This record gives sequence, structure tokens and C-alpha cells, in this order.
Amino acid sequence: MIKIVNLHKKFGTLEVLKGVNLEVNKGEVMVIIGPSGSGKSTLLRCINLLEKPTSGQIFFDGEDITAKKVNKNLVRQRLGMVFQSFNLFPHMTALGNVTIAPLQVLKMKKDEAKKRGVELLIKVGLKDKIDVYPNQLSGGQKQRVAIARALAMNPEAMLFDEVTSALDPELVKEVLDVMKDLAKSGMTMLVVTHEMGFAREVGSHLIFMDEGQILEEGRAADIFDNPQHPRAKAFLDAVL
Amino acid sequence: MQGLTDLVDKYFSLPVIKEVLPYLLKGALFTILFSAASEIIGIIIGLLTSIVRVTRIKVLNHLAIVYVDLFRGTPLLMQIIFIYYALPYIGINLPAPIAGIAALSINSGAYVTEIFRAGIESIDKGQMEAARSLGMSYIKAMRYVIIPQTIKRVLPPLTNEFVALIKDSSLLSVIAISELLRTAKEMMTWKLNPSSLTAAAILYLIITLPLTRYVSYMESKLKRSGV
Repeated sequence: MIKIVNLHKKFGTLEVLKGVNLEVNKGEVMVIIGPSGSGKSTLLRCINLLEKPTSGQIFFDGEDITAKKVNKNLVRQRLGMVFQSFNLFPHMTALGNVTIAPLQVLKMKKDEAKKRGVELLIKVGLKDKIDVYPNQLSGGQKQRVAIARALAMNPEAMLFDEVTSALDPELVKEVLDVMKDLAKSGMTMLVVTHEMGFAREVGSHLIFMDEGQILEEGRAADIFDNPQHPRAKAFLDAVL
Repeated sequence: MQGLTDLVDKYFSLPVIKEVLPYLLKGALFTILFSAASEIIGIIIGLLTSIVRVTRIKVLNHLAIVYVDLFRGTPLLMQIIFIYYALPYIGINLPAPIAGIAALSINSGAYVTEIFRAGIESIDKGQMEAARSLGMSYIKAMRYVIIPQTIKRVLPPLTNEFVALIKDSSLLSVIAISELLRTAKEMMTWKLNPSSLTAAAILYLIITLPLTRYVSYMESKLKRSGV
């Protein structure tokens, strides 16, 4: 579904991605782990075209989305993204956040968008927060609204960029539970995370990145039990 | 004591104020009309120019910078004189009220540009990214996500700008527009008594005080909401 070929990204002279190759198939939960600054987030942001790759290609359903003539808005409609810092729209209620894109981008009818928005908020466990503004929500609730907001566009795949890193420890589980349900429902997911328990339990595939390269790739359980690359081994020893 | 009595007679003469008040009210009405019209046009100019500035549309961006620098960096009085007295030499003859509104709007637009630009740039860049990641175009993201948040933040500085504009509109007296201050000065020569100036000052305060109070209220509200 997503195929990345020899992807490079430079910020000035700093090379953040040094030739990344990766393939994600439909229904897979690809977990990306690695130390800070290894290029994990940049990789996700390149897939969503928030960053422009310096070279290399990204194919989404066979189409090269790094090509000039590609309509970025159409690509992004099919790829949901959730950010570490939530980025909810503070001037809209939870429901407003979830319905704004279906209304304005998909031109969905108002009652239809509302119905679907309410369904999604119930699905992420926020039935009683539908008409609440973001500043009255906890971090975990905000992040669940953000997930519902991304799902409202009916994306074919979801990108999660360290979505629990800004949360108090006791709020992490409620967000991970929503992501687990999503994985069970068959959603294709790319998840950058430091939550190793989640990575092991939910990840079908796992890559370990360091210094802009993928050093290890395979089934999540295999890598946790038996890492091959010394750096991956050292990293897992340190965090587990 | 004689000094104090003279001061009251000259500057606070109630009989004089009573006599000139109808004329002053008419002047105040002109002041409000000229300021309001100029502020509205200024906001339109400023919003468009600020969007040119934040999107850095190539040539336009440089023009916008020149415009803002030029009109913020020279006296408004000079701009009014140029528009009314100098433009006719290149065939642009504007009637005084039009020239006046044009000068005030263009001047105000330069300040409003900077207010909007600062407002837009103060919005966390994650907001734009979140909007774009949902598939919104840049224009839609601006329209539904960035600008609505900007409006809340710029209302206080925008209102301050309006207060400044109301006072600056007194400069239109140089092109013979009978706004509040010019009317007051005419009344002063007619009555040989400057109490009309005092009355005009009070009228200016009556116009501007609600606005400045509103700014304080909005600022404390914004601080509390944290938006």
C-alpha cells in the first residue's frame, strides 16, 4: 500500500534520512522505534507530504506521491495523521473539530457529518465531551478527539507521530486502547512510538531506525525477542 | 483667584459650550463617519496585504513591504496633503472627502497589515499542519482554522488602531473637512472663546472611551481563556 524507495531528506546540511526503503501492506501495523533524532518523525511527515523529500520516491497505492503534478490535498485526505501536540482547533468544540474537514473538504451534508462525528467521538469514548472545547479536555481526551478527527475523513491509513509522548503517564493507556481497537479493525497504521509494550503487543511489523537509516526490520515479536543489529540490541536493552 | 476665574471663563464657559454644541455634534458625526469608513477600508486593505506578507507571494511581498514602510514611516499629515494637493497634477482630482478617506484608509491599512501579520504568525504552526493533514487546501486552512483564531487575537490591537485613527482624523482639517476639531476651531474664532475646544475634547473622549474600555475587557478575557 505504501512503498518508500531510497528516501533522503536534508535540512540544510543536516541529513536526517539517509536512504530509507520500506514497504507497508494493507492492514499492517508498522511500528517505528529508535532513539530521538533518528528520523522517525521526519519519515512520517514525508509520507504525509508535510516535508518535501530531498530525493527518493514514495508510492501510495502505486502512485508516486512525490511527483510534482500530484494533488497533495487529495493524498492527505486518504492519510490520517495524529500529532504529538494534538493540534486541536481551539475555537471549535470536539464535534466541530471532527466535522470541519468532512464538511469543508468532502462537502458532506451537515447532518450526515454530525451523525458520523458523534459516532466517532462515542467510539473513542468521549460521548459526554461532544460539545466541549479543547481547553476543557485532558491531554488524553484531546488526543482521542484528534484521532476521531483524522478518522472522520475515512483515511486508508493512519500515521501516529509519538502521540502519547506529551501525555501524563496515567493518560497514556486510554489513547493506546483506542489505537489498539483501530488496529484490530484492520486499519493500516504507521506508528512512531516510545511505548515498547504497545509496540510489541499491537505491532505486526517493526522497524528500528538510527541516524536516518533503518537498521532492523521484521516482525515485531521477533525483533523484541532476538534483535540482530548491535545498535538495536543496545537500544532495546536500554528501554525495556 | 483671578487667574482661575479667567481660566473658567475662557475654557469652561457653559453658555458658550451650550451655543456651539449643535455644531460640534455635527462635527463629531463627521469624525465618526470618516473614521469608521476608513477603518473598514483599512481592514480590507490590511487583511489582503497581510496575507500577501505571510504567504510571501514573490513580487507582491516586496511591494507590500514598501507600502507598509512608506505609510508607517511618514507623517499622516504629509500623506493627506500629497493625496489632495499633489495628485491633481497627474490628473487625479479627488474631492476632499474622498481624498480624506483614501489617505486615512491607506495609512490605517499599513498598520492593520502588521497587526494581522503578527496575529497570523502568532498561531502555532501545528494548526496549519493539522488542517493541511486533513486534506484542506491552504486557502481553506486559512479560512476555517487560522483566520478565526487570528481575529480573536487581533481585536484588541485593531481597536487601539481605530482609536488612533479617530484622533488622527482631526488632521483632515487641513483639507477643509469639517470634522470635530476643525469645527471646534471655527467656533473658537467665532466666539473668541476656546471653550469649544474643551467641549470637543470631551466629545472625543465620549467616542473613544468605550473602545479603550472594550480593549481592556477583551485583553483580560483572552488572558483567561488562553486561546
